[in-house]
Amino acid sequence: MDPGLLAPDQPAGPTVVLPVFEGPLDLLLHLVREEKVSIWDIPIAKICEAYQQTLHEMEELDLEVAGEYLVYAAWLLLIKSRMLLPRHEGEEKDPRQELVERLVEYEKVKRAAAELAGLAELRRGVEPVRFAAPLAPAEVELDLEEVDVIALARALREVLERHLREHPPALQLEPIRFSVQEKIVELFELVSRQRSFPLLSHLLTRPDRLESVTLLVAALELVRLRTADAHQREPFAEIYLTPTGAPLPMDVLSDA
Amino acid sequence: MPETKDLAAMVEAVLAVAGEPVTLEALLVVAGEGAERAQLEEAVEAVRRRHEQEGSGVQVESVAGGFRLATRPEHEGALREYLGYRSRARLSQAALETLAIVAYRQPITLPEINFLRAVNSAAVVRTLLERKLVMVAGRKQVVGTPLVYRTSKEFLVHFGLLDLSALPTPEEVEQVAGEGASEP
Repeated sequence: MDPGLLAPDQPAGPTVVLPVFEGPLDLLLHLVREEKVSIWDIPIAKICEAYQQTLHEMEELDLEVAGEYLVYAAWLLLIKSRMLLPRHEGEEKDPRQELVERLVEYEKVKRAAAELAGLAELRRGVEPVRFAAPLAPAEVELDLEEVDVIALARALREVLERHLREHPPALQLEPIRFSVQEKIVELFELVSRQRSFPLLSHLLTRPDRLESVTLLVAALELVRLRTADAHQREPFAEIYLTPTGAPLPMDVLSDA
Repeated sequence: MPETKDLAAMVEAVLAVAGEPVTLEALLVVAGEGAERAQLEEAVEAVRRRHEQEGSGVQVESVAGGFRLATRPEHEGALREYLGYRSRARLSQAALETLAIVAYRQPITLPEINFLRAVNSAAVVRTLLERKLVMVAGRKQVVGTPLVYRTSKEFLVHFGLLDLSALPTPEEVEQVAGEGASEP
Protein backbone atom coordinates (compact mmCIF):
# COMPACT_ATOMS: atom_id res chain seq x y z
CA MET A 1 0.00 0.00 0.00
CA ASP A 2 1.55 3.17 -1.13
CA PRO A 3 0.41 6.08 1.02
CA GLY A 4 -1.01 8.79 -1.15
CA LEU A 5 1.56 11.40 -1.97
CA LEU A 6 0.75 14.86 -0.89
CA ALA A 7 2.18 17.70 -2.86
CA PRO A 8 1.25 21.17 -1.66
CA ASP A 9 -0.33 23.25 -4.35
CA GLN A 10 1.92 26.25 -4.03
CA PRO A 11 3.30 27.97 -7.12
CA ALA A 12 6.20 29.56 -5.28
CA GLY A 13 8.81 27.84 -3.18
CA PRO A 14 10.45 24.47 -3.53
CA THR A 15 8.27 21.47 -4.20
CA VAL A 16 8.17 19.27 -1.16
CA VAL A 17 6.62 15.87 -1.44
CA LEU A 18 5.75 14.27 1.82
CA PRO A 19 3.84 11.03 2.15
CA VAL A 20 0.66 11.13 4.19
CA PHE A 21 0.99 9.14 7.37
CA GLU A 22 -1.76 7.42 9.27
CA GLY A 23 -0.12 8.17 12.60
CA PRO A 24 3.15 8.02 14.51
CA LEU A 25 3.59 4.27 14.03
CA ASP A 26 3.05 4.65 10.29
CA LEU A 27 5.66 7.39 10.17
CA LEU A 28 8.13 5.33 12.23
CA LEU A 29 7.71 2.30 9.96
CA HIS A 30 8.34 4.56 6.99
CA LEU A 31 11.53 5.91 8.56
CA VAL A 32 12.78 2.45 9.53
CA ARG A 33 12.36 1.41 5.92
CA GLU A 34 13.83 4.59 4.51
CA GLU A 35 16.92 4.34 6.68
CA LYS A 36 17.14 0.67 5.78
CA VAL A 37 17.59 -0.44 9.35
CA SER A 38 16.30 -3.56 11.07
CA ILE A 39 13.12 -3.15 13.01
CA TRP A 40 14.63 -5.47 15.66
CA ASP A 41 17.66 -3.27 16.21
CA ILE A 42 16.55 0.29 15.63
CA PRO A 43 19.31 2.91 15.88
CA ILE A 44 17.16 5.04 18.11
CA ALA A 45 19.22 8.25 17.93
CA LYS A 46 19.09 8.24 14.13
CA ILE A 47 15.38 7.42 13.93
CA CYS A 48 14.58 9.92 16.65
CA GLU A 49 16.28 12.64 14.66
CA ALA A 50 14.59 11.66 11.41
CA TYR A 51 11.25 11.58 13.22
CA GLN A 52 11.64 15.08 14.55
CA GLN A 53 12.83 16.27 11.18
CA THR A 54 9.66 14.93 9.58
CA LEU A 55 7.44 16.55 12.21
CA HIS A 56 9.26 19.78 11.48
CA GLU A 57 8.58 19.41 7.75
CA MET A 58 4.94 18.66 8.43
CA GLU A 59 4.68 21.86 10.44
CA GLU A 60 6.35 23.84 7.68
CA LEU A 61 3.76 22.53 5.28
CA ASP A 62 1.11 23.74 7.68
CA LEU A 63 -0.07 20.21 8.18
CA GLU A 64 -1.69 19.77 11.49
CA VAL A 65 0.59 17.64 13.62
CA ALA A 66 -1.76 15.66 15.80
CA GLY A 67 -1.04 15.23 19.48
CA GLU A 68 -0.35 11.52 18.98
CA TYR A 69 2.80 12.38 17.02
CA LEU A 70 4.08 14.51 19.86
CA VAL A 71 3.44 11.74 22.38
CA TYR A 72 5.64 9.45 20.35
CA ALA A 73 8.28 12.14 19.91
CA ALA A 74 8.51 12.39 23.68
CA TRP A 75 8.61 8.62 24.01
CA LEU A 76 11.43 8.37 21.47
CA LEU A 77 13.45 10.90 23.44
CA LEU A 78 12.85 8.92 26.61
CA ILE A 79 14.02 5.71 24.96
CA LYS A 80 17.02 7.52 23.55
CA SER A 81 18.05 8.74 26.99
CA ARG A 82 17.55 5.28 28.50
CA MET A 83 19.79 3.83 25.80
CA LEU A 84 22.58 6.07 27.01
CA LEU A 85 22.46 4.64 30.50
CA PRO A 86 24.75 1.67 31.07
CA ARG A 87 22.83 -1.56 31.06
CA HIS A 88 23.94 -4.87 32.47
CA GLU A 89 23.49 -7.83 30.22
CA GLY A 90 20.28 -9.71 30.97
CA GLU A 91 19.31 -7.49 33.85
CA GLU A 92 16.85 -5.14 32.28
CA LYS A 93 14.90 -5.38 29.12
CA ASP A 94 15.83 -3.33 26.08
CA PRO A 95 14.26 0.15 26.38
CA ARG A 96 13.17 -0.23 22.74
CA GLN A 97 11.25 -3.42 23.33
CA GLU A 98 7.76 -2.03 23.73
CA LEU A 99 8.19 0.29 20.76
CA VAL A 100 9.35 -2.60 18.60
CA GLU A 101 6.39 -4.72 19.68
CA ARG A 102 3.96 -1.97 18.77
CA LEU A 103 5.66 -1.42 15.42
CA VAL A 104 5.53 -5.12 14.60
CA GLU A 105 1.86 -5.30 15.55
CA TYR A 106 1.09 -2.24 13.49
CA GLU A 107 2.95 -3.63 10.50
CA LYS A 108 0.70 -6.69 10.70
CA VAL A 109 -2.35 -4.42 10.73
CA LYS A 110 -1.07 -2.62 7.64
CA ARG A 111 -0.53 -5.88 5.79
CA ALA A 112 -3.98 -7.13 6.73
CA ALA A 113 -5.41 -3.81 5.53
CA ALA A 114 -3.60 -4.23 2.21
CA GLU A 115 -5.03 -7.73 1.97
CA LEU A 116 -8.56 -6.44 2.53
CA ALA A 117 -8.01 -3.73 -0.06
CA GLY A 118 -6.99 -6.46 -2.52
CA LEU A 119 -10.10 -8.48 -1.74
CA ALA A 120 -12.30 -5.42 -2.19
CA GLU A 121 -10.62 -4.68 -5.50
CA LEU A 122 -11.64 -8.10 -6.80
CA ARG A 123 -15.22 -7.32 -5.86
CA ARG A 124 -15.60 -4.13 -7.82
CA GLY A 125 -18.55 -4.42 -10.16
CA VAL A 126 -20.13 -7.30 -8.26
CA GLU A 127 -23.65 -6.11 -7.62
CA PRO A 128 -26.54 -8.14 -6.30
CA VAL A 129 -29.07 -9.34 -8.84
CA ARG A 130 -32.53 -8.46 -7.73
CA PHE A 131 -35.66 -8.65 -9.77
CA ALA A 132 -38.25 -6.17 -8.63
CA ALA A 133 -40.32 -8.42 -6.41
CA PRO A 134 -43.27 -7.04 -4.47
CA LEU A 135 -42.06 -6.15 -1.01
CA ALA A 136 -45.29 -6.83 0.84
CA PRO A 137 -47.64 -9.73 0.32
CA ALA A 138 -50.25 -8.83 -2.27
CA GLU A 139 -53.60 -7.58 -0.92
CA VAL A 140 -56.46 -9.98 -0.84
CA GLU A 141 -58.31 -9.41 -4.05
CA LEU A 142 -62.07 -9.07 -4.03
CA ASP A 143 -64.19 -10.71 -6.59
CA LEU A 144 -65.91 -7.85 -8.40
CA GLU A 145 -69.28 -9.55 -8.19
CA GLU A 146 -69.14 -9.42 -4.41
CA VAL A 147 -69.06 -5.65 -4.45
CA ASP A 148 -72.47 -4.07 -4.01
CA VAL A 149 -73.75 -0.72 -2.80
CA ILE A 150 -73.76 -1.84 0.80
CA ALA A 151 -70.13 -2.94 0.61
CA LEU A 152 -69.28 0.42 -0.95
CA ALA A 153 -71.12 2.29 1.82
CA ARG A 154 -69.35 0.27 4.45
CA ALA A 155 -66.02 1.01 2.84
CA LEU A 156 -66.84 4.71 2.76
CA ARG A 157 -67.82 4.69 6.43
CA GLU A 158 -64.57 2.95 7.32
CA VAL A 159 -62.57 5.52 5.40
CA LEU A 160 -64.38 8.41 7.09
CA GLU A 161 -64.00 6.90 10.54
CA ARG A 162 -60.34 6.31 9.97
CA HIS A 163 -59.96 9.84 8.74
CA LEU A 164 -61.62 11.15 11.88
CA ARG A 165 -59.40 8.99 14.07
CA GLU A 166 -56.30 10.24 12.36
CA HIS A 167 -57.45 13.84 12.15
CA PRO A 168 -59.08 14.74 15.46
CA PRO A 169 -60.83 18.12 15.58
CA ALA A 170 -58.51 21.04 16.11
CA LEU A 171 -58.00 22.50 19.58
CA GLN A 172 -60.58 25.18 20.38
CA LEU A 173 -59.04 28.36 21.74
CA GLU A 174 -61.05 30.51 24.06
CA PRO A 175 -61.22 34.21 23.22
CA ILE A 176 -58.74 36.35 25.09
CA ARG A 177 -60.56 38.10 27.91
CA PHE A 178 -57.65 39.74 29.69
CA SER A 179 -54.80 41.62 28.16
CA VAL A 180 -51.35 41.68 29.67
CA GLN A 181 -50.94 45.39 28.92
CA GLU A 182 -54.16 46.22 30.69
CA LYS A 183 -53.01 44.22 33.70
CA ILE A 184 -49.58 45.87 33.68
CA VAL A 185 -51.20 49.25 34.07
CA GLU A 186 -53.62 47.97 36.69
CA LEU A 187 -50.88 46.28 38.70
CA PHE A 188 -48.59 49.29 38.37
CA GLU A 189 -51.24 51.47 39.91
CA LEU A 190 -51.83 49.01 42.75
CA VAL A 191 -48.12 48.72 43.49
CA SER A 192 -47.56 52.48 43.34
CA ARG A 193 -50.40 53.08 45.72
CA GLN A 194 -49.58 50.42 48.30
CA ARG A 195 -45.74 50.64 48.26
CA SER A 196 -45.60 46.94 49.20
CA PHE A 197 -48.10 44.87 47.31
CA PRO A 198 -48.83 41.22 48.24
CA LEU A 199 -48.83 39.62 44.78
CA LEU A 200 -49.45 36.03 45.77
CA SER A 201 -52.60 36.59 47.79
CA HIS A 202 -53.88 38.91 45.04
CA LEU A 203 -53.32 36.18 42.45
CA LEU A 204 -54.89 33.48 44.57
CA THR A 205 -58.02 35.49 45.26
CA ARG A 206 -58.88 36.18 41.60
CA PRO A 207 -62.12 34.42 40.69
CA ASP A 208 -60.86 33.73 37.16
CA ARG A 209 -57.86 31.49 36.57
CA LEU A 210 -57.09 33.19 33.30
CA GLU A 211 -56.97 36.53 35.07
CA SER A 212 -54.47 35.17 37.60
CA VAL A 213 -52.23 33.93 34.80
CA THR A 214 -52.42 37.27 32.97
CA LEU A 215 -51.64 39.09 36.21
CA LEU A 216 -48.60 36.91 36.82
CA VAL A 217 -47.26 37.68 33.34
CA ALA A 218 -47.96 41.36 33.98
CA ALA A 219 -46.03 41.18 37.27
CA LEU A 220 -43.05 39.61 35.50
CA GLU A 221 -43.23 42.39 32.91
CA LEU A 222 -43.20 45.04 35.62
CA VAL A 223 -40.04 43.54 37.08
CA ARG A 224 -38.48 43.26 33.63
CA LEU A 225 -39.30 46.89 32.90
CA ARG A 226 -37.63 47.78 36.24
CA THR A 227 -40.73 49.55 37.47
CA ALA A 228 -41.14 47.13 40.39
CA ASP A 229 -39.00 44.83 42.52
CA ALA A 230 -40.18 41.44 43.73
CA HIS A 231 -39.24 40.04 47.13
CA GLN A 232 -39.85 36.70 48.73
CA ARG A 233 -38.43 35.69 52.12
CA GLU A 234 -38.54 31.97 51.52
CA PRO A 235 -40.00 29.51 49.02
CA PHE A 236 -43.81 29.60 48.88
CA ALA A 237 -43.95 32.67 51.09
CA GLU A 238 -45.79 35.83 50.04
CA ILE A 239 -44.28 37.71 47.11
CA TYR A 240 -44.18 41.47 47.65
CA LEU A 241 -43.94 43.94 44.82
CA THR A 242 -42.46 47.34 45.61
CA PRO A 243 -42.27 50.26 43.21
CA THR A 244 -38.80 51.36 42.10
CA GLY A 245 -40.03 54.83 41.33
CA ALA A 246 -39.46 54.44 37.62
CA PRO A 247 -42.48 55.30 35.47
CA LEU A 248 -44.05 52.89 33.02
CA PRO A 249 -42.51 53.23 29.54
CA MET A 250 -44.70 55.19 27.16
CA ASP A 251 -45.14 52.39 24.65
CA VAL A 252 -46.74 50.18 27.30
CA LEU A 253 -49.20 52.91 28.18
CA SER A 254 -50.07 53.83 24.62
CA ASP A 255 -50.74 50.21 23.62
CA ALA A 256 -52.95 49.54 26.61
CA MET B 1 -38.84 -36.54 -4.85
CA PRO B 2 -38.50 -33.48 -7.10
CA GLU B 3 -36.06 -33.55 -9.97
CA THR B 4 -32.76 -31.72 -9.52
CA LYS B 5 -33.38 -29.81 -12.74
CA ASP B 6 -36.64 -28.39 -11.35
CA LEU B 7 -35.05 -27.66 -8.00
CA ALA B 8 -32.25 -25.78 -9.75
CA ALA B 9 -34.77 -23.62 -11.60
CA MET B 10 -36.57 -22.93 -8.32
CA VAL B 11 -33.32 -22.01 -6.58
CA GLU B 12 -32.46 -19.60 -9.37
CA ALA B 13 -35.86 -17.93 -9.13
CA VAL B 14 -35.55 -17.48 -5.37
CA LEU B 15 -32.01 -16.09 -5.63
CA ALA B 16 -33.20 -13.70 -8.32
CA VAL B 17 -35.73 -12.00 -6.04
CA ALA B 18 -33.69 -12.30 -2.84
CA GLY B 19 -30.90 -9.86 -3.70
CA GLU B 20 -29.07 -10.99 -0.57
CA PRO B 21 -27.40 -14.22 0.47
CA VAL B 22 -29.92 -17.05 0.92
CA THR B 23 -28.90 -19.89 3.20
CA LEU B 24 -29.30 -23.53 2.27
CA GLU B 25 -31.66 -23.85 5.24
CA ALA B 26 -33.93 -21.18 3.80
CA LEU B 27 -33.87 -22.92 0.42
CA LEU B 28 -34.80 -26.19 2.10
CA VAL B 29 -37.85 -24.56 3.65
CA VAL B 30 -38.86 -23.05 0.34
CA ALA B 31 -38.39 -26.32 -1.52
CA GLY B 32 -40.88 -27.98 0.81
CA GLU B 33 -41.41 -31.64 1.46
CA GLY B 34 -39.33 -34.20 -0.29
CA ALA B 35 -36.27 -32.09 -1.01
CA GLU B 36 -33.09 -33.19 0.64
CA ARG B 37 -30.09 -31.20 1.62
CA ALA B 38 -27.67 -32.97 -0.64
CA GLN B 39 -29.99 -32.68 -3.59
CA LEU B 40 -30.47 -28.98 -2.97
CA GLU B 41 -26.72 -28.44 -2.77
CA GLU B 42 -26.49 -30.18 -6.08
CA ALA B 43 -29.20 -27.93 -7.48
CA VAL B 44 -27.32 -24.79 -6.39
CA GLU B 45 -24.19 -26.16 -8.01
CA ALA B 46 -26.15 -26.83 -11.19
CA VAL B 47 -27.23 -23.19 -11.35
CA ARG B 48 -23.69 -22.03 -10.66
CA ARG B 49 -22.26 -24.34 -13.34
CA ARG B 50 -24.78 -23.33 -15.93
CA HIS B 51 -24.03 -19.63 -15.46
CA GLU B 52 -20.33 -20.33 -15.78
CA GLN B 53 -20.66 -22.52 -18.84
CA GLU B 54 -22.90 -20.10 -20.65
CA GLY B 55 -20.50 -17.24 -19.98
CA SER B 56 -23.32 -15.42 -18.24
CA GLY B 57 -22.93 -11.88 -16.92
CA VAL B 58 -24.41 -13.13 -13.70
CA GLN B 59 -22.86 -15.56 -11.24
CA VAL B 60 -23.88 -17.53 -8.18
CA GLU B 61 -21.54 -16.61 -5.35
CA SER B 62 -21.14 -18.05 -1.89
CA VAL B 63 -20.98 -15.18 0.55
CA ALA B 64 -21.96 -14.52 4.16
CA GLY B 65 -23.11 -18.05 4.79
CA GLY B 66 -25.43 -18.28 1.79
CA PHE B 67 -25.79 -18.04 -1.95
CA ARG B 68 -26.38 -14.91 -3.91
CA LEU B 69 -26.88 -13.99 -7.53
CA ALA B 70 -24.58 -11.15 -8.48
CA THR B 71 -23.10 -9.54 -11.55
CA ARG B 72 -19.64 -10.57 -12.67
CA PRO B 73 -16.87 -8.07 -11.90
CA GLU B 74 -15.86 -7.84 -15.60
CA HIS B 75 -18.86 -5.68 -16.28
CA GLU B 76 -18.13 -3.00 -13.74
CA GLY B 77 -17.55 -0.40 -16.44
CA ALA B 78 -20.80 -1.19 -18.22
CA LEU B 79 -22.78 -1.08 -14.97
CA ARG B 80 -21.27 2.20 -14.02
CA GLU B 81 -22.05 3.61 -17.41
CA TYR B 82 -25.62 2.37 -17.45
CA LEU B 83 -26.56 3.10 -13.85
CA GLY B 84 -24.63 6.36 -13.88
CA TYR B 85 -23.34 5.62 -10.44
CA ARG B 86 -20.14 6.85 -9.00
CA SER B 87 -17.80 4.05 -8.34
CA ARG B 88 -18.50 2.96 -4.80
CA ALA B 89 -16.35 5.08 -2.54
CA ARG B 90 -13.21 3.15 -1.76
CA LEU B 91 -12.29 2.71 1.87
CA SER B 92 -9.57 5.04 3.08
CA GLN B 93 -6.31 3.67 4.42
CA ALA B 94 -7.47 4.56 7.94
CA ALA B 95 -10.75 2.70 7.37
CA LEU B 96 -8.96 -0.34 5.95
CA GLU B 97 -6.55 -0.50 8.89
CA THR B 98 -9.36 -0.17 11.40
CA LEU B 99 -11.45 -2.75 9.60
CA ALA B 100 -8.46 -5.13 9.49
CA ILE B 101 -8.03 -4.73 13.25
CA VAL B 102 -11.72 -5.45 13.88
CA ALA B 103 -11.72 -8.38 11.46
CA TYR B 104 -8.70 -10.11 12.96
CA ARG B 105 -9.14 -9.20 16.62
CA GLN B 106 -12.89 -9.17 17.14
CA PRO B 107 -14.55 -8.60 19.48
CA ILE B 108 -12.56 -5.44 20.10
CA THR B 109 -13.10 -2.08 21.80
CA LEU B 110 -12.26 1.40 20.56
CA PRO B 111 -9.44 1.93 23.11
CA GLU B 112 -7.84 -1.28 21.86
CA ILE B 113 -8.10 -0.10 18.25
CA ASN B 114 -6.65 3.28 19.22
CA PHE B 115 -3.75 1.56 20.96
CA LEU B 116 -2.89 -0.59 17.95
CA ARG B 117 -3.07 2.29 15.47
CA ALA B 118 -1.60 4.87 17.88
CA VAL B 119 -4.21 7.37 16.66
CA ASN B 120 -7.75 8.10 17.73
CA SER B 121 -10.00 6.06 15.47
CA ALA B 122 -13.43 7.07 16.79
CA ALA B 123 -14.42 8.87 13.59
CA VAL B 124 -13.24 5.99 11.42
CA VAL B 125 -15.21 3.49 13.47
CA ARG B 126 -18.27 5.69 13.07
CA THR B 127 -17.83 5.66 9.30
CA LEU B 128 -17.51 1.88 9.31
CA LEU B 129 -20.67 1.65 11.43
CA GLU B 130 -22.49 3.90 8.96
CA ARG B 131 -21.36 1.74 6.07
CA LYS B 132 -22.59 -1.24 8.08
CA LEU B 133 -19.25 -3.01 7.77
CA VAL B 134 -18.91 -3.28 11.53
CA MET B 135 -21.51 -3.51 14.24
CA VAL B 136 -21.74 -3.10 17.96
CA ALA B 137 -21.77 -6.43 19.76
CA GLY B 138 -22.43 -5.50 23.37
CA ARG B 139 -20.10 -4.07 25.97
CA LYS B 140 -16.90 -5.31 27.48
CA GLN B 141 -17.17 -5.92 31.22
CA VAL B 142 -14.21 -3.78 32.21
CA VAL B 143 -13.96 -0.31 33.72
CA GLY B 144 -16.11 2.04 31.65
CA THR B 145 -17.83 -0.89 29.92
CA PRO B 146 -16.72 0.17 26.42
CA LEU B 147 -18.66 -1.01 23.38
CA VAL B 148 -17.18 -3.94 21.53
CA TYR B 149 -17.19 -4.13 17.75
CA ARG B 150 -17.49 -7.01 15.32
CA THR B 151 -17.57 -7.26 11.58
CA SER B 152 -21.05 -7.55 10.09
CA LYS B 153 -22.71 -9.73 7.49
CA GLU B 154 -22.30 -6.81 5.10
CA PHE B 155 -18.54 -7.05 5.69
CA LEU B 156 -18.57 -10.64 4.45
CA VAL B 157 -20.61 -9.65 1.40
CA HIS B 158 -18.39 -6.66 0.66
CA PHE B 159 -15.23 -8.74 0.62
CA GLY B 160 -16.82 -11.83 -0.91
CA LEU B 161 -16.24 -14.09 2.08
CA LEU B 162 -18.37 -17.09 2.98
CA ASP B 163 -17.57 -16.63 6.67
CA LEU B 164 -14.81 -15.21 8.87
CA SER B 165 -12.71 -18.34 8.48
CA ALA B 166 -12.43 -17.47 4.80
CA LEU B 167 -10.27 -14.47 5.72
CA PRO B 168 -6.64 -15.07 4.84
CA THR B 169 -4.86 -16.23 7.99
CA PRO B 170 -2.25 -13.92 9.53
CA GLU B 171 0.41 -16.34 8.30
CA GLU B 172 -0.90 -16.14 4.74
CA VAL B 173 -0.91 -12.35 4.98
CA GLU B 174 2.73 -12.43 6.12
CA GLN B 175 3.68 -14.67 3.20
CA VAL B 176 2.02 -12.43 0.65
CA ALA B 177 3.73 -9.41 2.23
CA GLY B 178 7.06 -11.23 2.09
CA GLU B 179 6.72 -11.51 -1.66
CA GLY B 180 7.18 -7.79 -2.05
CA ALA B 181 3.63 -6.53 -1.60
CA SER B 182 4.73 -4.33 1.26
CA GLU B 183 5.24 -0.64 1.00
CA PRO B 184 8.27 0.69 -0.90
